[in-house]
Amino acid sequence: MAVHSSVPMLNLIEIHKFYDRLEVLKGVSMEVKKGELVTFVGPSGCGKTTLLRVIGGFTNLDSGEVILDGQKIHHLPPNLRDTRICFQNYALFPHMTVADNISYGLKIKKWKKAKIQERVEELLKLVQLEGLGGRMIDKLSGGQQQRVALARALSLEPKVLLLDEPLSNLDANLRLTMRGEIRKLQERLKITTIFVTHDQFEAMSISDRIVVMKEGGIQQVGSPIEIYERPTNEFIAGFVGFVNFLDGVVDRVDIGLNKATASTPIGIIQFLPERNISAGDKVKLVIRPETINISGSEPTGMNNTFQGEVEIGMYVGSLAKYTVMIKGEKFIIDQPNPRETFFKPREKVYLSIPENIHVLKRN
Amino acid sequence: MARAETLIAPQTNLVERIKNFINAELINILAAILFLLLAVFLLYPIFAVLIKSIKGPQGFTLSYYIKFFIKGYYFRSLLNTLTLGFINTAVCLVVGFCMAYLTTRGPLALRKPFKIISMMPLIAPPYLFAISLIILFGHNGIMTKAFGIKWSLYGFTGVVVAQTLAFIPLAYLMIENTLKSLNPNLEESAYDLGASEVRIIRTITIPLLAPGILKAGLLVFVMTIAEFGNAAILGGRTPFLAPDTYMMIIGEADFEMGSVLSVVLIIPCIIIFFLHNYMLTGKKFTTIGGKPVASEPRKITPFVQIPFLLISCTAGLAIIISFAMVLAASFTKILGINNQIVLTHIKNFNSNLAILNSIKVSLVAALIGAIIGTLLAYVIVRGKFFGRSFIEMISLSGFALPGTVIGIGYLLAFNNPPIKLTGGIMILALNCVFRFLAVGVEAGISKLHQINIEIEEASSDLGANFMTTFYRIVLPLMFPAFIAGFIYTFMTTIVSLSAVVFLVSPGFELAAVRIFDAAVYGEIGIASATTMKLVVIVIICMVILNYITKKTGFDISPKKGV
Repeated sequence: MAVHSSVPMLNLIEIHKFYDRLEVLKGVSMEVKKGELVTFVGPSGCGKTTLLRVIGGFTNLDSGEVILDGQKIHHLPPNLRDTRICFQNYALFPHMTVADNISYGLKIKKWKKAKIQERVEELLKLVQLEGLGGRMIDKLSGGQQQRVALARALSLEPKVLLLDEPLSNLDANLRLTMRGEIRKLQERLKITTIFVTHDQFEAMSISDRIVVMKEGGIQQVGSPIEIYERPTNEFIAGFVGFVNFLDGVVDRVDIGLNKATASTPIGIIQFLPERNISAGDKVKLVIRPETINISGSEPTGMNNTFQGEVEIGMYVGSLAKYTVMIKGEKFIIDQPNPRETFFKPREKVYLSIPENIHVLKRN
Repeated sequence: MARAETLIAPQTNLVERIKNFINAELINILAAILFLLLAVFLLYPIFAVLIKSIKGPQGFTLSYYIKFFIKGYYFRSLLNTLTLGFINTAVCLVVGFCMAYLTTRGPLALRKPFKIISMMPLIAPPYLFAISLIILFGHNGIMTKAFGIKWSLYGFTGVVVAQTLAFIPLAYLMIENTLKSLNPNLEESAYDLGASEVRIIRTITIPLLAPGILKAGLLVFVMTIAEFGNAAILGGRTPFLAPDTYMMIIGEADFEMGSVLSVVLIIPCIIIFFLHNYMLTGKKFTTIGGKPVASEPRKITPFVQIPFLLISCTAGLAIIISFAMVLAASFTKILGINNQIVLTHIKNFNSNLAILNSIKVSLVAALIGAIIGTLLAYVIVRGKFFGRSFIEMISLSGFALPGTVIGIGYLLAFNNPPIKLTGGIMILALNCVFRFLAVGVEAGISKLHQINIEIEEASSDLGANFMTTFYRIVLPLMFPAFIAGFIYTFMTTIVSLSAVVFLVSPGFELAAVRIFDAAVYGEIGIASATTMKLVVIVIICMVILNYITKKTGFDISPKKGV
């Protein structure tokens, strides 16, 4: 995780936004610390782009406050806010060269010619486009266009950089490369950045913190590990990676022994008790496919082991994916590095569920 | 060897072979027939005009052209026409841009009303504005008498004003289209980087829209210099090419000079047609995909909003007043002199007869036009023969050809056998069919591009021959384009004046010609009432067209016929 100060750079307070009668932002509040990269992630229509546009000044909020570095900015037009946006489609000016695009804002700020040139060179170097300043935009590849858009947004040294799905127009390999480069650049410049994406894995791999949004509200804010390991509800658990849910009722909780058990359709399961779980609670056990151990013979020294039958087995090389039925309950299992132990349909297998699973309360 | 035997074509009788040949070559045969039609009814008349202009008593001569350039009158006519074109285009582009900017970027409350007003002239024949100007500023005009305005309406300025009002929607529509297609994120990015509204317009909007604006300008220019009605009604003693051609032929029966004027008029039109279609294609900036987020209306600074509003409101007001005047004149004895409300103009027998005749001619033209347009679109898109793009070019060129030239051409070409058409209804319909083909063909082409060729291949795979596939698969799918071509041809034909004015025979008057005569002879009530009837008919057509567009989700952009 990047080291950043705890001073908030951006504060969002109770932001509401309506389109006609539809409430697209339902009182969003959060803060972004200086130098932090925060990702807004969620399914389409969750309000993440609208929230970004509210911060940038392209969409007016109906109530609430946007505070940038201690100053209210929500009443200001975009050009008077110290935030710069990089649109999903880059919005590069197609009738200008790379250098003209990058220097557009500098010229408006009436920089001296020599200084502009110097700054453009510096920015081109920063995004690894040295020597391409004279190119027209349509002579660039998608990745290069992405870099120009970044350089242009960085040209005026904004306090907050806003990136709206910046990688969605690149092919898969380039996306991975650019993801890494954006992160490297951001950490080097220590620039506070908000990154909007619908791709949960992109969010996981690039962020200091992730904001999971759904239907105009924030579901959870946390580090990638927190979001993955300790999702606060079913939606988040299912949104970041696949998950097996198992309904159950807590039988007993023993804080002293750090032990708890729950009755489930497949039998009693032991788990490590979490914060507010007590006996009698209806719960949902959150079991990630890669945490379940699968073997052909009954393993020794493992709790929570159940016998089941393979329904579907798919060999993908680095791992094998199974659907296993235990007493009518379906489980998805990822077996890393399967090699010779690959199980075929209708084979009997033993599944061991770990004790340090996450538990959600059911309503 | 058994293998060799299978390679020998199965023996069939002659009839079978001819049938197979026709089936295999049907699309090419169809293309040949269509090309023949285009050649006879579009190229041959123009060629006839060209020949007439260089054929003296002793064979080839340039004497008529020399006369044109030596005699100041003719040359002034050319200069006037071009000057009119430039002024009119400039004004229409400025007004069109202001209105389009407001309806796409301006306050939401203003968008709809401005859009409706700027489109109003589209439902009117262009000469409506000449009539309304006569009502207001003519010798006995309301403004002339009320304020003693000594503006001589008949002449250059009158024509410019009428033409400008008539062609605002064309400029508006095309500019609005390009403004809408501009990714809003581009302007937002400039805004984000600190640019002011004026700077955004200057450095982003206009440079990016330049090709589109230029295209709109070229179209307005062609339409203006070719337009006959306004210049003929309001031109007075100021010479313009289109009405002078009419005077030469109808007034003095001087076919040679009439042809020379036509050739002179058609040259800039052809140049512009090529510029419009070929120079500017591909000059479009491509940007990366991804959703361009529709922006909320940006707050336009007063520096931009106030002048834009002023220009738009002035033009809008002039358009509304023009309509109101013609409407009022239809129902009053003599508007401004005797304001007694009467229905005599509306009930006028000759006016109604002319309307009926126009509907007849337009229906014939629409039916033929829609059929030819659909077939042309099909052979252009699906055919693989040599000269396909040439056929496409010819069939789209009609809009660039001045109606007066086609009128003379038909007069010269079809007055004698082998094809004698003069005096009949067909000659009135056919000239419109071929001039207004472009929209039907374009609608057909765009529809066909939506239809995957595999659908037709699947049909033939299941055993259907070309005719069956065409009849059962292609035609039903292209039906919306057929209807669009039908209605478009109908409504442009019914208001069209410039060509038919040469071709009407005494016993069979058309509404547009009736209006023209009435306007020239000062029967303003009759002219207005007949014009309003045409407006109503065009509105009905637009409503149907709009319904089809919505129903089938396919867009044909209405262009203005002259």
